[in-house]
Amino acid sequence: MLKLVNIFGYLAVLLSAAILVAQSLLLGGLIFRYWIARPHPEVAADALEHVQALALRWFRAAAISLAIVQALYLYVNSAVLMASADIPFREVIGANFFIAASVMLCAALLTAIVAGNKDKYAAWYLCALVLIVLTASVMTDHAASRVEGRVPLIILTALHEVATGFWIGGLPFLLLGLYVNRERATQWYLTRRFSQVAFAGVIVLVLSGVCMSVAYVGSAHALLGTSYGLMLLAKIAMLAALLALGGINFLMLRKHGPEQVIPRLRRLVEAEFGVGLTVVLSAAAMTSQPPAVDLVNDTVQPSHIWMRYRPQWPRLKSPAASELSTRHPGQIISDQDPTRRTVAYTSEGMPVSLRVLNDMRWSEYNHHWLGLIVLGMGILAVLARTGRARWAEYWPLLMIGIAVFIFLRGDPECWPLGPKSFWATWADPEIFQHRAAALLCVAFAIFELRVRRGPSQDGLLPLIFPVICALGAALLLTHSHGTTNVREETLAELSHTPMAVLGVMAGWSRWLELRLPSQDRGVPSWIWPVCFVLIGAGLLNYREF
Amino acid sequence: MRRILAGPWLSLLLLLILAGVATPLWGHAVLMQSKPAANSTVTGPDLPIWLRFNVRVDGKRSRLTLVAHDGSTLAVPAPRQTAPDMLESQVTGVKPGAYKLQWRVLASDGHMSSGEVEFTVK
Repeated sequence: MLKLVNIFGYLAVLLSAAILVAQSLLLGGLIFRYWIARPHPEVAADALEHVQALALRWFRAAAISLAIVQALYLYVNSAVLMASADIPFREVIGANFFIAASVMLCAALLTAIVAGNKDKYAAWYLCALVLIVLTASVMTDHAASRVEGRVPLIILTALHEVATGFWIGGLPFLLLGLYVNRERATQWYLTRRFSQVAFAGVIVLVLSGVCMSVAYVGSAHALLGTSYGLMLLAKIAMLAALLALGGINFLMLRKHGPEQVIPRLRRLVEAEFGVGLTVVLSAAAMTSQPPAVDLVNDTVQPSHIWMRYRPQWPRLKSPAASELSTRHPGQIISDQDPTRRTVAYTSEGMPVSLRVLNDMRWSEYNHHWLGLIVLGMGILAVLARTGRARWAEYWPLLMIGIAVFIFLRGDPECWPLGPKSFWATWADPEIFQHRAAALLCVAFAIFELRVRRGPSQDGLLPLIFPVICALGAALLLTHSHGTTNVREETLAELSHTPMAVLGVMAGWSRWLELRLPSQDRGVPSWIWPVCFVLIGAGLLNYREF
Repeated sequence: MRRILAGPWLSLLLLLILAGVATPLWGHAVLMQSKPAANSTVTGPDLPIWLRFNVRVDGKRSRLTLVAHDGSTLAVPAPRQTAPDMLESQVTGVKPGAYKLQWRVLASDGHMSSGEVEFTVK
């Protein structure tokens, strides 16, 4: 039951992220359809009408998606509450989140219906409905649950979400306008109008974000000392990347003409939207954590960080599988066994036995060897980028090393290290997942090598690697580390969050390398190999105690 | 403790194992103050209880349980709210000994949080 609640709980976080994304698309679609793509005498009316019609169709799809994910969220969150707190369904119905989610669900459905009708007041109805969606969203945010400063925080949150929607949510609609319409005049018109809206959106987003950060984090120390603060730092790092991309677009629009700008801008906007989606995902993860300012007793102190992450030589010697806490069938460990004695203490002062300590050493050894492999991949990728070492192009083969590592050490209780037989282990879903992942690593290595050594890097297949890379990193941002200890959780995130951000950067820079015109690929083609090197270095300094 | 994490780019791996290792990130309501306070010693047999959280909580959908050192549980009357962030209740007939007050509260954003306060009754 606990496992089910945990899985459903994580699903609820992902669904709330999907809700935020759909809500942003709704806001972006609204501003694009009724403001950015407004008729203008200098632009051909039929070209613009075509864009408007398609934008409205996408807007409608966003509303339907919002209704679906909201219905799923209602079901999942209600199930979690009923299972974890023994609350009957009739009581769940009256809860604030249930009312807000139901209102948003109804508003989204009505939006989909109204967007399908050609009523002359449709724009006003849609504005009102999207406003209801926004209000329902804000009513389940941190701001609404605060005791002090509630009203200003609600206003700031609403502004933040509107600005996100207009900017990030509007990007796919801009791409739609740029791809369905081949007329440079229309593309130029849409781009320039969008740029004005995005610029205003960025200003509101940053200002409201700064105010909310001050209110929710409270101190500079809490930025590094809490999970909320770390997530905020990750968000700021990704926002900086977004601003860099947006800034390039903004300057290009003002310095060059449509013929130079549009082909580059389309590709940059793709990456901008990808990173923007990750920021929205991390925002959803933040709303499911207590604000840093409330964690007065559980913050990580600089001394904890130094003790955990001071530079140390990687652990290249592992304990034996039999020395771990994993119980083998038939194995009996008596209370008097010396390995059950306390040999260390956690940052919280909790006692740790020798077997648990060995678990940590085992995990560190795994991380450090993986770090070496990833560092190797990064260095080879950098060498390959210099163009002086063609053999270094074979770096994806190192992923096979990762696969072997997962297979051998992912489940120490199983064959070949543990007593469980090879076939018996396939009945365990978790072990099956590890083994399937190892196989996928092999497939991934061969696939990426074919992309690199193949005759052409055009087409959609080469894009799978950067998308999977960026998606995995985004999920890592929302991933918890299975510990109920707040301080230990933060310490674990101190190593994983930077790697997740680097993964996002690696994925989207590789995307840009593949998508940009060949003369513009220089900078992005350096970014992702360097990100790999940094991730490898980060893994090498990973510690659990 | 054992974690196998190959790196962000191996997201397929992550996607597959997430269902196995993921735990929810939520834990939104944080207990700021309580009576009895954590690790305190109080006088019985009547035990007034109040808990103050960092956010507004839904008293109607929150649960309090008192667990004695032998594992037996004492019924805690449904908590009432004198402020949006507070829960209050009272237990009578509490015998001397070590206890845990287990709380499970629903924050107004829909996140369920839980925790416990250990104390001794003399």
